[in-house]
Amino acid sequence: MFDRAKFWRYTRYTVLTVALLAAGFTLYLDFRVRSEFEGRRFALPARIYARPLELHAGLHIAQIDVVRELQEAGYGQGPREGDSGWFANDNDWLEVAVRPFVFWDGLQPAKRVRVAFDGGAVKAVQDAEGRELPLARLEPLAIGGIYPANNEDRVLVRLSEVPKQMVQALIATEDRNFYAHHGFDLRGIARAAFSFLRLKGLQGGSTLTQQLVKNFFLTPERTLSRKVTELFMAVLLEIHYDKDEILETYFNEIYLGQDRDRAIHGVGLASLFYFGKTVEHLTLAESALLVGMVKGPAFYDPFRNPERALERRNLVLRETKDRGFATMEEYSKARAADLGVSQKAAMGTSPHPAFLDLVHRQLRRDYDEADLRSEGLRVFTTLAPRVQTAAERALERKIAQFDRGKIFGEPGLEGAVVVTDTQSGEVQALVGGRDVRFRGFNRALDAARPVGSLLKPAIYLTALADPAHYTLVTPIDDGPFVWKSRGAPDWEPTNYDKTFHGAVPLRSALAHSYNAATARLGTDIGVEKVLATIKRLGIEREMQPYASTLLGAVDLSPLEVAQMYQTIASGGFRTPLRAIREVTTQDGRPLKRYALAVEQAFAPEPMYLITAAMQGVVREGTAQSLKNWVPLETAVAGKTGTTTEQRDAWFAGFTGDRLGIVWIGYDDNRAARLSGAGAALPVWGEMMAALAPEPLALPKPDGIENVLIDPESGLRADFACPGAVELPFALGSAPAERAPCASALGAAVEGVKQQAKSWMQRLFGR
Amino acid sequence: MRTLLAFLAIAVAGCATVRQPELGGPAPLPAPLPEPAARTENLAIAGLLDGARADAASGRLVNAAASLERALRIEPRNPRLWQELARVRLKQGDYAQAESTAARSNSWAGSDSALRAENWRLIAHAREARGDAEGAKGALEAAERQR
Repeated sequence: MFDRAKFWRYTRYTVLTVALLAAGFTLYLDFRVRSEFEGRRFALPARIYARPLELHAGLHIAQIDVVRELQEAGYGQGPREGDSGWFANDNDWLEVAVRPFVFWDGLQPAKRVRVAFDGGAVKAVQDAEGRELPLARLEPLAIGGIYPANNEDRVLVRLSEVPKQMVQALIATEDRNFYAHHGFDLRGIARAAFSFLRLKGLQGGSTLTQQLVKNFFLTPERTLSRKVTELFMAVLLEIHYDKDEILETYFNEIYLGQDRDRAIHGVGLASLFYFGKTVEHLTLAESALLVGMVKGPAFYDPFRNPERALERRNLVLRETKDRGFATMEEYSKARAADLGVSQKAAMGTSPHPAFLDLVHRQLRRDYDEADLRSEGLRVFTTLAPRVQTAAERALERKIAQFDRGKIFGEPGLEGAVVVTDTQSGEVQALVGGRDVRFRGFNRALDAARPVGSLLKPAIYLTALADPAHYTLVTPIDDGPFVWKSRGAPDWEPTNYDKTFHGAVPLRSALAHSYNAATARLGTDIGVEKVLATIKRLGIEREMQPYASTLLGAVDLSPLEVAQMYQTIASGGFRTPLRAIREVTTQDGRPLKRYALAVEQAFAPEPMYLITAAMQGVVREGTAQSLKNWVPLETAVAGKTGTTTEQRDAWFAGFTGDRLGIVWIGYDDNRAARLSGAGAALPVWGEMMAALAPEPLALPKPDGIENVLIDPESGLRADFACPGAVELPFALGSAPAERAPCASALGAAVEGVKQQAKSWMQRLFGR
Repeated sequence: MRTLLAFLAIAVAGCATVRQPELGGPAPLPAPLPEPAARTENLAIAGLLDGARADAASGRLVNAAASLERALRIEPRNPRLWQELARVRLKQGDYAQAESTAARSNSWAGSDSALRAENWRLIAHAREARGDAEGAKGALEAAERQR
């Protein structure tokens, strides 16, 4: 029996329920649209910059190196009047239109710089009018970022910065009725429905507002219910916000390509990424290319599919002209232009992930992880691109060579490099493994490996700080040595060449890295005393007070070793290694500066002596082969390190301007059968040779005098002694006794010299 | 070569012994020290140094330190720059850094005793400010000894 009244009642209830549900759903969507659109600030990655290149007369740098850095920064070759971000050059001159850049100390406006080169150095720096400039700071290279979880990268722009014709091209191509509709376009929907009915699937017909909603709030699946939600939200968005707000957000949100693991979002970043210039300087043709890519950034990728991209761009140009947004003349000019994209090496989240890792860790001491990934902080680091490249190349090349020669199976040989500035402690380069672009295990920071003989300089330094007992010529017994201690097995260090050398001068024991002599010296001085020296050199890790520690039975990372050698390289001044100079907010307000700090940890005299001894290692000891890469006049001070069964090969050394640490070995600790001199030193040598190192010349401290010594006897020599060498001594510590080779005449001369000296002292009071 | 040098040494020493009696009377006055150069030859350094001094004078100490560090990257062995930085650290109230930075300047000062004396005076200031009167006294004595 059909109950009419009941039927209507149920119908009314149903309609009411549906209406209520619909209203609730709408309210929920409205809440989401408003809260998320309003509350959503784009998460901006922290942006990391290399050190800026500062050009001045006298700087040692070849033109090609400056050009390379400009190209890396996206500068194009050939003048573009009225624009910045280009360079022009001939043999002797380089002209650069430097882009404006906000440094830590404020905005540096766009400027023209002319640089004259003379061989491998800058001869003069001038402005566009030919006036001399004392110093020209170039824009620093961006070397990566600390990104939000999905690696979205973007540079925010205001709608007013976007060229008008780009806006018009977008509207002509994607949504012709944008300014008229209320979030959806009936004709578009009809078109979509038509294609749906023809079983072509759901496609197209979205307004810009719908596209924005889709990217902003929804997942990319294509279902009918999602389409309906999208439509609802688009209408709500249009109710709450005006067209310009929606457009601006669209321009910042839109996905426009991929750079390895980094997603390029927004036209601000896309302009820089594809054309190397800011969005307001894009031409019609360039704007049209970006607009064309909206439809499918991978499909229309101008690098990989240039023909497709060109076709698509020209279609966009035609639409723009047909809608009356470009004149026939503008259209034909834009159509005739080439793509204009400047291909750069893929960078991904960073081309130098190991260095970035160090920066990230230093930042985490002062900033929240969430802030680093969203606040758009700008971080100015100490990375020197030229040094980094030299370090990467040397390590890659040498490891490939060693791997070819010695087949030990997978995984292959690994390595790490750290390079710092000897004076400031700034980390100029850091390589964390043979695959230099790989983000992962960072051996420079995290591979703690036995350091072997790298600790020896600390022992000799401890000795030389006591000139009453030890000088560079003090004989040390390199005979068989046994160390007995309770509760531990006897310790009997042997030498690398399996022989003992009897009494050897202290400096030779270091130069040839004799283990027995060093163990005897170290235990004579006292292990505790040596450990105190190591600590003062800057090693914070606790070390066991065992005698075997002396010969490097201690695990340190390359970065820790760098910190220790830094103190020696800077003449006894401990300087914390730094990778960051300054941090600013997104808009350039300074937040923090990491200042240069020094602390005098050692008197200058023993540092001078140990450095001289380490120069001996390179001149006549285990690192002699370095002369194949670096001329002897550079007077490098260094130390090789090789551990048991040659599992680890090390070289640590410094020139006048740079300290470098190289480690080579296997991750799984297999015997590499490579020595410090055979494997790590060549990497160091090849790297430094590419960097034209400054010679090492320490200032001679007051408490040091040079004395001519006969190497045979270790006694005072004179001109009559063949092969006599001049060695530094703490005042009064040089041997008084004259060598047998010294002549009687020499003794007389010596007496006269002493007299002359005392006379000079009286004359000048010093 | 070495032999030649040795003979030269004899020659010079010989001259000295001959001339010594002539000057044997009253102790001669020490030769006047050259005035420290107000500006270095490097224009870039001069510009940064001027900027740093202006910043320091108007209390922008962080900027002054930054400019000096920039200059030190160009000439890390210039003791004047280290000294200027020590002066800024002193003004910043970072006495430990002021002292060690002045010591760093000393390590590059060579025979420039006026510069060394000034560094020791800076060290004396820093020590006094930290309440180390004894140490300050020692530093002032060291400053005196530079002459």
